[in-house]
Amino acid sequence: MQVNGQSHVVELTDEYTPLLWVIRDMLGLKGTKFGCGKAACGACTLHVDGEAVRSCSYPVKFAEGKEITTIEGLGDATNPHPVQQAWIEEIVPQCGYCQPGFMMATAALLDKIPNPTDEEIDDNIINVCRCGTYYRMRKAIHLAAEKQSALKTTNEPTNS
Amino acid sequence: MKTKSYILILFLLMAGFVLASMYTPSESDYVSVPPSKKNSETPSDVAFHKMMDVLTHPRCVNCHPNDHVPKQGIEGDPHDFGMSRGENNLGFEATKCTTCHQTENNPYSGVPGAPHWSLAPHSMQWQGLDRFEIAASMMDTERNGGRTPEDILHHLTEDKLVLWAFHPGVDAKGEPREVPPVSKEDYIKAVEAWFENGHVIPSN
Amino acid sequence: MADKESSGNKKVSRRKFLVRGGLGTVGVLAIGTYLFRNPIRRAVLEKVNSMDIEYLGSTDNPMLWFELGPANEIILHSPKIEMGQGTFTGLAQMAADELDVPFENIKVVHATTDTGNIDQFSTGGSTSISGLWQPLRELAATFREMMKLKGAEKLGVPVSEVTAVDGIVSGNGKSLSYSEIAEGVTSWTIPDAPVLKDINTYRYVGKPLPRVDLEDKVYGTPMFGLDAEMPDMVFGAVVRPSKIGAKYISATTDKAEKMPGVLKIVKEDDFVAVVAESYIEAENAKQAIEVVWETPDNLQQEEIVAMMTVGNGTSSIIQKQGDALEGDAVVQMEFRSPIGAHAQIEPNGVVASVVDDKATIMISTQVIGITRKEVASRLGWDEEQVNVVPTYLGGGFGRRLHTPHAVQAAVMSKAVGKPVKYIFSREEEFQHDMFRPPTHHILKGSLNDQGLLSGLEHHFVSGDVGNNSALIPNVLPTILGADVGAIRGAFIQYTAVPNHRSVYWHVDLPFATSWWRSLGLLANTFAIESFIDEMALKADKNPIEFRLAHIGDDEAGKRLKEVIRTAGEKSGYSEDVKDGKAMGFAASVDAGTPCAHVVEVSVEDNEIKVHKVTVVLDPGLAVNPDQVRAQCEGCVIMGMSAVLFEQMKVVDGSLTPTIYGPYEMALMKHAPKEIDVILLQGKDKPGPVGEPPLGPIGAAIANAVKRLTGKRLQSMPLKLT
Repeated sequence: MQVNGQSHVVELTDEYTPLLWVIRDMLGLKGTKFGCGKAACGACTLHVDGEAVRSCSYPVKFAEGKEITTIEGLGDATNPHPVQQAWIEEIVPQCGYCQPGFMMATAALLDKIPNPTDEEIDDNIINVCRCGTYYRMRKAIHLAAEKQSALKTTNEPTNS
Repeated sequence: MKTKSYILILFLLMAGFVLASMYTPSESDYVSVPPSKKNSETPSDVAFHKMMDVLTHPRCVNCHPNDHVPKQGIEGDPHDFGMSRGENNLGFEATKCTTCHQTENNPYSGVPGAPHWSLAPHSMQWQGLDRFEIAASMMDTERNGGRTPEDILHHLTEDKLVLWAFHPGVDAKGEPREVPPVSKEDYIKAVEAWFENGHVIPSN
Repeated sequence: MADKESSGNKKVSRRKFLVRGGLGTVGVLAIGTYLFRNPIRRAVLEKVNSMDIEYLGSTDNPMLWFELGPANEIILHSPKIEMGQGTFTGLAQMAADELDVPFENIKVVHATTDTGNIDQFSTGGSTSISGLWQPLRELAATFREMMKLKGAEKLGVPVSEVTAVDGIVSGNGKSLSYSEIAEGVTSWTIPDAPVLKDINTYRYVGKPLPRVDLEDKVYGTPMFGLDAEMPDMVFGAVVRPSKIGAKYISATTDKAEKMPGVLKIVKEDDFVAVVAESYIEAENAKQAIEVVWETPDNLQQEEIVAMMTVGNGTSSIIQKQGDALEGDAVVQMEFRSPIGAHAQIEPNGVVASVVDDKATIMISTQVIGITRKEVASRLGWDEEQVNVVPTYLGGGFGRRLHTPHAVQAAVMSKAVGKPVKYIFSREEEFQHDMFRPPTHHILKGSLNDQGLLSGLEHHFVSGDVGNNSALIPNVLPTILGADVGAIRGAFIQYTAVPNHRSVYWHVDLPFATSWWRSLGLLANTFAIESFIDEMALKADKNPIEFRLAHIGDDEAGKRLKEVIRTAGEKSGYSEDVKDGKAMGFAASVDAGTPCAHVVEVSVEDNEIKVHKVTVVLDPGLAVNPDQVRAQCEGCVIMGMSAVLFEQMKVVDGSLTPTIYGPYEMALMKHAPKEIDVILLQGKDKPGPVGEPPLGPIGAAIANAVKRLTGKRLQSMPLKLT
């Protein structure tokens, strides 16, 4: 499987091992979090072929041949994703543990709905945050949508 | 002339029987009769009830809700986190059914899975209907996605998502989910038998 | 702060923190009260309730707090934990101003116990910034003074002629950076702390600077307890019972031993565990262990509710003025709150490595000192042989104020000779939490002819909060006659009511309950402030005016009144229902910090929707106003979650539910569209912030619902069906 653009081959006896543990313990990418292991909290959200997937409920055998993106692959300090930039500008995180899952879910949302309404955000962003940062997240999601569409406009070729 | 009237009455009676046997009850004028009248059940009826013992079980009805919210568990509680049908029965645009549900049951998370996991379309709502109403809905081309009886037979006996009901996996606590009260083999035989016998929904 | 008359070198006795004293100050006072009458006890309780506790730590040597690098960067070793409350950022701001270095030069890390810089209390009680305000600035100023002294020496200039600005000491046209000054120096004279700067000259304190841990948290840097790793690490899992009160008797492990990846079964007198190559393999093997438990009878929820009834258990009057209420004119109402789970998103976990005679424990903990003490004790070692490496917490809220799993992981590591990582499953987190205890309240009130309160009483029963916790010495509850945590928010703030009292009842619950963010505040305020609203309605008075009329004019009263007035004004509080929305008001004081909420609520399909919350908080001086705002926003949402959705129940002897979803919590869709936070500064030093903003939310919502629907909801979680 491809993870953040890099090819990996993993061998496991238990092919039902959740992708989450392969990512965290075998590949050492700690950004994707374990919160419940029951697909209930969303802290383990990453992208599989561009779709949001809760990796604690995704057997590694299904990852074969797929492109996985984790928070580390979404962006970093030198090249942050618009969602990450918005998260920084709005100073969203408190404890920070749930944040990568929310950012991955948000990135997937903005991919499908570039300018979501509050209702569309409410429907799609259903991860759990105990610190209660939803209020700032909502602002950050709208800001990220703006940034992303600004990027698209800049990147579009000029038509004659 | 007593003999002649006798023969006339007999002839009329026979005609009556022939005409009666040609009459197939349509859903609009069939009358409910409690299913407890086992002594009047035909083999077709027996097969019908066996089939419906499965199709009325929460494992099936949970994904045939009468609203847009999938149901969970034996109690048929609304799906957690506000998950809903979405535009195409596959969940919301970014948080889809497949964000959590894969093509197999997950032994670690307790999330159930089967190929093309999704809600049945809204026209196929079964929650709140009794078994006769469900069967009628199922056979109605207006509501069943335009399926012919042949199509439905295949769907009921071969579709992996339908048959998931017999292998529903374990829940979040690792406890096996309750399966329908009829075995998969008996269910398939019952479905086949019922269709073979003209898929007659018994009078209630 | 004036310099003491001293030789100016080596003397550390002037420091205010008690070395290795634990809750020394309170303890000494408490022992005194044992011999005296209840009024003194009550005075002690009030002092404890105000949380006006200065930091208690193991060292006041600035060199153990500030580590200077070669390029003027300073590592601040913090004995307080960062769990989202913004402590690291606030401490860095305070330090930067008195150290006189650029804020960007400071990096904050968790102090390991090996550094010798250890908190004797805990990170909790909203005391990190308020408690370190004076001591940390003094330490920083002392450090700066040390730089100036040494710098002056190296520059050959009298110390009175040097200045320290932005990490550079200059004098007579020459200058040296702190790093240059420190070069080659092996021993330092620690002078008395100089006079601190005028707070109006601070460049960083008081500014809404972005969090220092912001980027790490946005880019997914490994930083939490569960991210910890050590070379050659393996994974452990401990078998925990699902029934309340189950005692471990014995275990059969033949099946588990043969499972894939299993390295060893660890059997102790008090637990059985398995160590395996991976987390999943350890979990699978754990499930194959058959344990014999001694289980008491299956407890049911009705029994818990029956136990938690005012009049059960032992009682003490924690506040008293005037006479008890009697007679027919007394209005009485009851309120209840359920068992609450912490439900922090990072489960507990630890990596322990026990090698020869040294142990290293990497862990999310709020009690660094206690973690170390317990591990050392179990291993039979001196505490210095155990190094606790604290990590960022994926949520604290009081969940990490005791960490017995560190002991279990250490035992496992010793057994296999490798570092062992032990993670709680989410099910274990829910079943083995130390919950917010359920409570029951009876409020009594009477009105006089002017429609003001002539009497007000709060009777309440709670399970343990501070009692039986790792933090409170066992003798303290007996001496004080009350649970210091359960009584938070239970005091009646309407001290102008001629007859008022608060009576605390204590019941021992069969499962562990302990500190949950704001302790008794949420439930106590819900009960009292809902009742005040009812009495205001009965008196046909505006609820804000009604409250103001009963608050005294002492300093605390003045600050509370200012908060209440401001909230009423800024929110445009009105008792009218407009566009299907009603407003609700409530106010509380916690640990000396007053807070008021005004909520705007509607009801749709029997669902209570909160559209807007106006929060007015007087935290004293806000070191970082943006983070104070964030705490207010977070408290509103966490409070709403507890008030509208959350409850644990006891079913057939087990605590349930054990998963998010069935344990209903607030989601994005429930968050108010507007949260308006107004900060007042009623005193010139920082007061507690992390918990006080939780207080009013329950009553505010219930009061709004009352005005909208006419229904008075008296039980949390608030439901209309």
